[in-house]
Amino acid sequence: MFEIEVLTKEGFKNSRGEHVLSDIYGLGIEDITNVEYSTLYVVEGDISFGEIETIASELLTDKVAESYLIRRRDAEGNSEVISKFSDTKETGRLNHNFSVIEVWYKKGVTDTVSESVIKAVKDLGIAKKIKVKTGHKYHLYGKILQKTLLNTVAKKLLANTLIQKYKIH
Amino acid sequence: MKKVKTLILRTAGTNCDYETQSAFELCGAVADRVHINTLIEKKNKIFEYDILVFPGGFSYGDDIASGKILSNEIKNKLGDEIKKYALSGRPIVGICNGFQVLVKIGLLPDPKFFKQIFTLSCNDSDKFECRWVYLKVEKKVRRESNCIWTKNLPDVISLPVAHGEGKFVSGNEKFLDNLNKNSQIVFRYSLKDGSEPEYPLVPNGSIGHVAGICNKKGNIFGLMPHPERYVFTLQHPAREGFNDRYGWGKVIFQNAVDFVI
Repeated sequence: MFEIEVLTKEGFKNSRGEHVLSDIYGLGIEDITNVEYSTLYVVEGDISFGEIETIASELLTDKVAESYLIRRRDAEGNSEVISKFSDTKETGRLNHNFSVIEVWYKKGVTDTVSESVIKAVKDLGIAKKIKVKTGHKYHLYGKILQKTLLNTVAKKLLANTLIQKYKIH
Repeated sequence: MKKVKTLILRTAGTNCDYETQSAFELCGAVADRVHINTLIEKKNKIFEYDILVFPGGFSYGDDIASGKILSNEIKNKLGDEIKKYALSGRPIVGICNGFQVLVKIGLLPDPKFFKQIFTLSCNDSDKFECRWVYLKVEKKVRRESNCIWTKNLPDVISLPVAHGEGKFVSGNEKFLDNLNKNSQIVFRYSLKDGSEPEYPLVPNGSIGHVAGICNKKGNIFGLMPHPERYVFTLQHPAREGFNDRYGWGKVIFQNAVDFVI
């Protein structure tokens, strides 16, 4: 199982992250100083590393404004980075304090984007049976972010808890 | 007189195809709305047409990114035919979602490279922006550019925009310089008097206020605003236009039809 994270390249505006930050300030929360948004795709199936690289670079990433990281994920949700586009932000993050909130659809909720991705993978010429799951990832920067504060942000701004679940880490 | 045939390519999520068809018919052309699956089955059908249109809408729900899934489909299933069509010099236009497709396929800025160089990313506001805006038709462009679509227009026109991902950006300053040098930037967002605008009249934060570009040869044109929504004065909030009847969007379509004749 592979996880692809699509990030905004350095020097390009992360509009969604900035929008979320502005909404966070609107809640009266000032502990969070920056938000970076990225999109997550989990691809499951009999698929090779070369094919997943093609899917990440040719389909899921806008070569001009975005970069990507590919992680291999096991059934328990543990993951390790196995490939990355040259200028991803991952290394820059090492020097900062941040928390991560991931938002995913709950089981049984239709993921329309995943259906489109499966169609587009076939168009790419990859004729494998795959399952795709899509999610959203928010890096929230700030000195020490309390879990209660992160829960508030997740519930009030990032996840519709009727159809989505969120994970803080 | 020759009947000009226009192909309006549609797929799941396309929603400006009827208006675009109507605009071309108003200009005297025959316009067919053709589903992409029909074209994939009969690839050479495209060469039966004089003009190719990528209309506006939300192809495939704007999933992954606006225009991405359609451009991926076209490139992989119709790439050779589309490139050949573009290089033949026939007029091609991409409106809004169609512009996003043209840029992501790589027909703009140059079909010879057939590679994505620019992108249209999320609006700075991270919101869907929908309003009438002013567009400066660069004087230099009208006199020196080869763009067949933007002739006979006044210095400033207004057209409506409606998009969430219309910020024209480049990863390399040199590419933008080349567009400027070759007079390929045909529309820029502006104020009514043609001067520099700010948000909300620049709805997306495009570099250089770019709203529409063409290729060097001038047959391929992409723009974020919707000319098909302003072919009659009645469609304008202040009922402005020309000849007391038509909107400036009509001139854009008429230019392509007249070029073919």
